[in-house]
Amino acid sequence: MIVKNEKVSVCVNDSTRFSFNNEDSLLIAMEKQQIDVHFHCREGFCGACRTKLLSGEVEYKVDPLACIDDDEILACCCIPISDVEIQTY
Amino acid sequence: MKYTTFNQKTTDTMKEPMFFGDPVNVARYDQQKHPIFEKLIEKQISFFWRPEEVDVSKDRVDFQKLTDAEKHIFTSNLKYQTLLDSVQGRSPNIAFLPIISLPELETWVETWSFFETIHSRSYTHILRNLFSNPSEVFDDIVVNEEIKRRATDISKYYDDLIFYTQLYQTRGEGVYTIDGETHEVNLRVLKKKLFLCMNSVNALEAIRFYVSFACTFAFAERELMEGNSKIIRLIARDENIHLTSTQHILNLWMKGKDDPEMAEIAKECEQEAKDIFLLAVSQEKEWAKYLFKDGSMLGLNEEILCQYVEYIANQRMAAIGMGQPFNVKGNPLPWMNNYLTSDNVQVAPQETEISSYLVGQIDSEVASGDFEEFEL
Ligand code: FES
Ligand SMILES: [Fe+2]
Ligand SMILES: [Fe+2]
Repeated sequence: MIVKNEKVSVCVNDSTRFSFNNEDSLLIAMEKQQIDVHFHCREGFCGACRTKLLSGEVEYKVDPLACIDDDEILACCCIPISDVEIQTY
Repeated sequence: MKYTTFNQKTTDTMKEPMFFGDPVNVARYDQQKHPIFEKLIEKQISFFWRPEEVDVSKDRVDFQKLTDAEKHIFTSNLKYQTLLDSVQGRSPNIAFLPIISLPELETWVETWSFFETIHSRSYTHILRNLFSNPSEVFDDIVVNEEIKRRATDISKYYDDLIFYTQLYQTRGEGVYTIDGETHEVNLRVLKKKLFLCMNSVNALEAIRFYVSFACTFAFAERELMEGNSKIIRLIARDENIHLTSTQHILNLWMKGKDDPEMAEIAKECEQEAKDIFLLAVSQEKEWAKYLFKDGSMLGLNEEILCQYVEYIANQRMAAIGMGQPFNVKGNPLPWMNNYLTSDNVQVAPQETEISSYLVGQIDSEVASGDFEEFEL
């Protein structure tokens, strides 16, 4: 995992903006902001946390096994490594 | 084309489609056309569990405390799940293995089926503890009209695919009249049957368990039947991974990343596939009605359960490009998530002895007031 000095910013649904505080996952970071994100397994294999990545880059902490499109990410097992814009379902 | 258990022809599995290519010969995983299946095998095996490790003895006392309506809910759900896993413990093997062309997919299907047999064995473990004679419960599964109706819809796509595969592999393409019925057998027809069958299995893994899961976890919220709940959590985790596999198969076809003919068929059968899913949704809702015919249980009623089915269906239909046909915003049963997360499911012995381990964790996240709002 890359250790970042500069904080990256996360923009959700074009409305909520916050900076990523090195939480364990993007899902946890969004939950801290009281954003309603679907989840079940929290381990990358069920797909409930499927989120659209509009811009930016994420890095996976465990191999994502759930079925997602090329422009989608699994929030439960990734962290942003650049400023990201995402859209929840 | 005759099936062979060891195809002596040199094949390049990197060029084979998932189904209806050359039969698999060497079970090798050093090179994989679709590496996801090898990853799913690893993950599934890492979930290995044995029903006997879960202590269900306290459930016997709890069961006596349930009302008759609640006993009906509990036992009926176990019957339905027993049916589902009876089908799933054998059918992927019998229907898919004879037509699979990739070693990693072949082994995935075998691994998947094996875990379904663990689920089946766990129902016996649960029922033996609750009833001095569990055979009454098991015997009812094949005569209970409510369950039979579902069994027909679940098994018919498998049976159809299996029958046509048998004709194709023994007689080849052609038109055959058997017992007065005419069957046109060719590869295109078979692929269509495979596509519909996979959609039916996907719907099964996606939603057919969830009414039953919700009831189980609603009992657990009241600190009842916790041994059972622990087993069902392990089953739910496995079912999630099975669902992921069928979603991958369907999406590989639809996105043209496997057999191009399957991409065509997916387009052609789009509506039929969607109807299969929607029928499963409506059957689940009918199941909720049947469960609550003698009365509800604390924390759940038919309406909220049906909303939950729609909520789950939306997510799972969207995952395979079917959109979100139901108008539900937000999760109607938020406490369900506490039972569907993977991280605190373990079968460590110290944990099964202290049944409050899980409950404590869940209590801390769900205020007891949340639960009292539900009407009976
Ligand atoms: S919550 Fe299951 S994949 Fe993210
Ligand atoms: Fe199962
Ligand atoms: Fe399953």
